[in-house]
Amino acid sequence: MSFHRLRQKIRPWVYIFPSFFFLFMFTFYPAFKSIYLSFCSMNIASPRPIFIGLDNYIHAFTTPLFWTVLKNNLFYAGVTVLATLALALFLALMLDRELYVASLYKTTFFYPNVIPMAAASMIWLYIFIPGYGILNYYFSKIGFPNIEWVTSRRYAMWALIIVAIWKNAGYYMIIFLAGLQQISEDLYEAATLDGASSWRKFWKITWPILSPTTFFVLIISFINSFQAIDQIYLMTRGGPGNATNMFIYYIYQVAFRFWDFGYGSALTVILLVLLLVGTVLVFVFIEPKVFYQSDIKP
Amino acid sequence: MRRKNWIIHLILIPYAILFAFPLFWMFVTAFKQYSEVFSLTPKWFPAHWTLENFKEVVKIVPFGHYYLNTVMLVFGLLIVQFVTVTLAAYAFARMEFKFKNILFVIFLSQLMIAPQTLIAPNYLTIKSLGLLDTKTAIALPYVASAIGVFLMRQAFAAIPKELEEAAAIDYCGPIRFLIHVAIPLVKPSYLAFALISITYHWNEFFWPLIITDTVRSRTLTVGLALFAQSSESAAEWTLLMAATLLVIMPLVIIFLIFQRSFIKSFMQSGLKG
Repeated sequence: MSFHRLRQKIRPWVYIFPSFFFLFMFTFYPAFKSIYLSFCSMNIASPRPIFIGLDNYIHAFTTPLFWTVLKNNLFYAGVTVLATLALALFLALMLDRELYVASLYKTTFFYPNVIPMAAASMIWLYIFIPGYGILNYYFSKIGFPNIEWVTSRRYAMWALIIVAIWKNAGYYMIIFLAGLQQISEDLYEAATLDGASSWRKFWKITWPILSPTTFFVLIISFINSFQAIDQIYLMTRGGPGNATNMFIYYIYQVAFRFWDFGYGSALTVILLVLLLVGTVLVFVFIEPKVFYQSDIKP
Repeated sequence: MRRKNWIIHLILIPYAILFAFPLFWMFVTAFKQYSEVFSLTPKWFPAHWTLENFKEVVKIVPFGHYYLNTVMLVFGLLIVQFVTVTLAAYAFARMEFKFKNILFVIFLSQLMIAPQTLIAPNYLTIKSLGLLDTKTAIALPYVASAIGVFLMRQAFAAIPKELEEAAAIDYCGPIRFLIHVAIPLVKPSYLAFALISITYHWNEFFWPLIITDTVRSRTLTVGLALFAQSSESAAEWTLLMAATLLVIMPLVIIFLIFQRSFIKSFMQSGLKG
């Protein structure tokens, strides 16, 4: 083989090497290390990992707090995903037309996505304060009692959900808008000629053609809702009484408060499996319902 | 048609007000006097606009350091990512090699495993490298960027083959072609990626919080959180809102300037990170 050919063969590997090196170091190696450490005891008492089999997993499944965390996270994910999706789609549908100051609307709905969650948490804490907080002031005007937003078991989760919806809806709205722009006007015109109502047009044209976008948004918002941490750390600290404790925060507590990396790794593995299973389930049950325009036979 | 648009505005305006309110409320509070916060009927605007909160907060919090750290982190990382992302994306877009497709899928799986998930093992890695409490440590997990490679691969793939052939006739080697022809052609995609990267890393909180320990390496978001948890800020909402404003101001300004490209780049990416 000539020198020139050899160089051509090696070149792509040289190009992808730096990226793969770091991908391996900080994504795959830690993922596999978590699997290894999850079968070990590694904490303050035994700083070197000692093999203990499935004990960490048994510990997780027999700890009530683990189930509380799982339940909290599923509830949070379910409500935020559906509410954010619905609101984002609604706003996108409203904005998908020639509209005066449309870009001002887009900016207004999108900006929460650009500011740090840490800053957003501060602002919302201030809005939520019981007593003199502005939200409670207007709530009391319409007859609500004073609500302890982030400090009561009943409302702390809802406070986090409100912040999450506000923060992400604009982003998904933008993605929906991109999807809506793919739909040809001709379809609507034809439907109008046939006397279809707006309601019918939505369900027979918009919804099916938009379904790949909806599916995509569903998956990323599901994954995102299991990554929630900044707002939990800053607004509720998982409390009160673990009412808002969720996966990443629980892992943080176990690993960095109690320095139990063995149990922390088991939790990390459980979370990764949960995300994988969740994504697969979405693919199995919802993907067949997704309509791809390329499916249409000529 | 016009009449119908009025109804749309009527529907959208309340939502717009609700969305804009937190930013507005933070902004006006940052300029209020301390006592105004506690008034029983909320004051929409400060009775006297004051800069006292900013003066006070800059005295308590080393914002200069935090700004410098954040800017160095964000732009340093962006330069490194520019190199790694360009090389990998170019290889995936325009070169043939074994296992190309499977390697690309493996690469994209990074999108599913967000760094928050791996804080514990990555902390151990950083610790064993002796890099705790450094800006480098904050950046390392992001040097390989799946979203960047994904975006740039699409851009490079769109360059017509004929251009490359023409360049080869003029004795323009692959590296010269990449630097002088390909990269300038995909500038808009680089801008899109840069905006996403800058936003993400300016905003990132939890990983820097875990990995940093001193003013030497802390970023703005971490500094803000520490200030919020310190005793100086207990119920000092005017100070806290002034600090918050200082943290988000550069981003909000960049966002307003590049508003169109911002929205377009997030639209394209369809994914964060």
